[in-house]
Amino acid sequence: MPDLLESPDAGRRDRQLAIAPIESLAPPSPTPRPQAELAAAPVLLFHHVSKWYGPVIGINQVTLELRPGITGLVGHNGSGKTTLLRLAAGQLRPDLGNVQITGCDAWTADAKRHVGYCPEIDTFYEEMSGRRFVQSMARLVGYPRAEALRRTEETLELVGMKDRADRRLAGYSKGMRQRIKLAQALLHDPELLLLDEPLSGIDPIGRRESVELFKELARRGKCLLISRHELEELEKLTDHVAIMAAGRIAAVGTLTEIRDLLDDHPLSIRIASDQNRALAVMLLELDEVVGVDRIDGYLLVRAKSPRKFFERLGEVVLDRMIEINHLETLDESTHDVLGYLLGGKMR
Amino acid sequence: MNSLLHYRAWQGTFHSSWWTIWPIARVSLGVVLRRWMFWILYAFSLLLFLMFFFGTFLLAWAQSAVVVTTQQFGRMGNPEQLLAGMRRALNILNGSQDTFQYFFAYQGGIVVVTLSLVGAVMVGNDFTYKSLIFYLAKPIGRWHYILGKFLAVFVVVQMMTTLPALGLYAQKAFDDWNYVIDIDYFQGKGPAGVLLLFGVIGFGTLLSAVLSILLVATASWMRRTMPLILVWMSLFFFMRFLANLLVDGLQLSVRFRLIDLWNNMMVLGNGLLGFGPDTVNPPRHPEWWEAGLVLIGVCTLCLIYLNHRTRGVEIVS
Repeated sequence: MPDLLESPDAGRRDRQLAIAPIESLAPPSPTPRPQAELAAAPVLLFHHVSKWYGPVIGINQVTLELRPGITGLVGHNGSGKTTLLRLAAGQLRPDLGNVQITGCDAWTADAKRHVGYCPEIDTFYEEMSGRRFVQSMARLVGYPRAEALRRTEETLELVGMKDRADRRLAGYSKGMRQRIKLAQALLHDPELLLLDEPLSGIDPIGRRESVELFKELARRGKCLLISRHELEELEKLTDHVAIMAAGRIAAVGTLTEIRDLLDDHPLSIRIASDQNRALAVMLLELDEVVGVDRIDGYLLVRAKSPRKFFERLGEVVLDRMIEINHLETLDESTHDVLGYLLGGKMR
Repeated sequence: MNSLLHYRAWQGTFHSSWWTIWPIARVSLGVVLRRWMFWILYAFSLLLFLMFFFGTFLLAWAQSAVVVTTQQFGRMGNPEQLLAGMRRALNILNGSQDTFQYFFAYQGGIVVVTLSLVGAVMVGNDFTYKSLIFYLAKPIGRWHYILGKFLAVFVVVQMMTTLPALGLYAQKAFDDWNYVIDIDYFQGKGPAGVLLLFGVIGFGTLLSAVLSILLVATASWMRRTMPLILVWMSLFFFMRFLANLLVDGLQLSVRFRLIDLWNNMMVLGNGLLGFGPDTVNPPRHPEWWEAGLVLIGVCTLCLIYLNHRTRGVEIVS
């Protein structure tokens, strides 16, 4: 069983960072990656994709490349998350650009065999049993009857619904519906899983199991794109996010990497040491430090390029033998990063 | 939970996407067949079949009984009138083209009512509740989905028309084998044998095909039961009334009757049974090819609409 306390980015082979060229963010420095990995086709590729709904633009010039691992998809309502998921699921055709799944056009049946889609809606045929629904979906994938039955049982067991699958869907709770939706998405062992709010309505035990499952899938080389409103849950799963704003991908990467690039919003760090005054003077000499304030016995430092700042801080502290009693970053959480990027509050 | 994650890689060959049409149809049929309302309507439609089925036996027995006991009937009234009435009934119940013409015409009414009631369940709910997303996330195209729905409605109409009609045909065939092998069994009064069998199957298939296309298109448009009933009542009852008013009342061109889709199906169907267009009630009808062209046109429009309707689930919902 995987440890829930391990890195939230478990299973991610590729931690590439790609930031869309928007005003507040500098272009990313390329992260070196193994040649073999670079050569392999990405599981999901959006290449300059735009989609309009009449005069309204759904997504605008989106370029995105995902490889195995878990990526969180975050953004305000109407930012284009669902459109992006539906384009990836082959349910919408882009007006401009192209969407590819393992090198195939997302609209084609070949591409759909590599995709498991778990939409947000959970209304199916209420008279049907969960087992019958999953079984029907298995037949739609193209499995013969015997294989469809076998896979149905396996996935129902996987999502913890085997014993309750004969009940009618009308009698299912929200959480049970989520599990059934997940089962139908996992049926064909897809390389890409598109999950729209997969944890909403699931009880805490179910959530824990689902999180474990997602991490295990990622470890096995699957690519998961998870849209989620509740950032706390998302943080447990991964710190690799694709942030959407106004139909564009504002940033893709780990939160730390994205935070590093937010030059307009210096990181706030609260520090307490045995030599606050001396430390403040030395910190002000660093290029990365924008300002230092003394508040209630603490130093409140505002620094650009956090990673570089922490390297320099370490050097300074060791040189002068300063004892650090307290060190705390104040606005590095997902909330804060998204707040800065999207210009508003996220839940 | 991860210990359960033991997918065995699939080594076989996936079925073609065309194979998914039947599972899609079966899901829709399963939903409809679980509803008691459908079975009530189906039982109602079978009453008509039973009337034809047992009516044949009853009249055959009555005819022989009347011949033997004509003197007894003399006391009750004019036996000749009684016999004439029976002969008229016999024309309907003797397994000839008239039998099937009347059967399809009567059965059609209950079929239309049934379809208007189950259309929302079979098709409309996919659009209302966006269940279509689940289908289109699988490796199938939208036409596989549409054909699956057509097939489901097709099966329902076949269950209510062709299947019982074949039962009537089989009844007559078991009664007299010459009915099957002799095309001139009715001595110049219409076809029999295999020709009539093809006519019956053709009529049923025509009804099933046109009604399934119409139902899938209108149900994906209206989605809910009540609006769907209103649309179908307009299509099949109001248009019929209007056509009769224009052609029979105002004595306008018979081509105005082409707006009556049900009549068009009857004209074509009766043609398949070996009747001319003038034998359809009420009289004065357009040519069969005109009726056929109208039906093809309407079905084409429905298909174009369905193509648009399923193009993007999000856009059209």
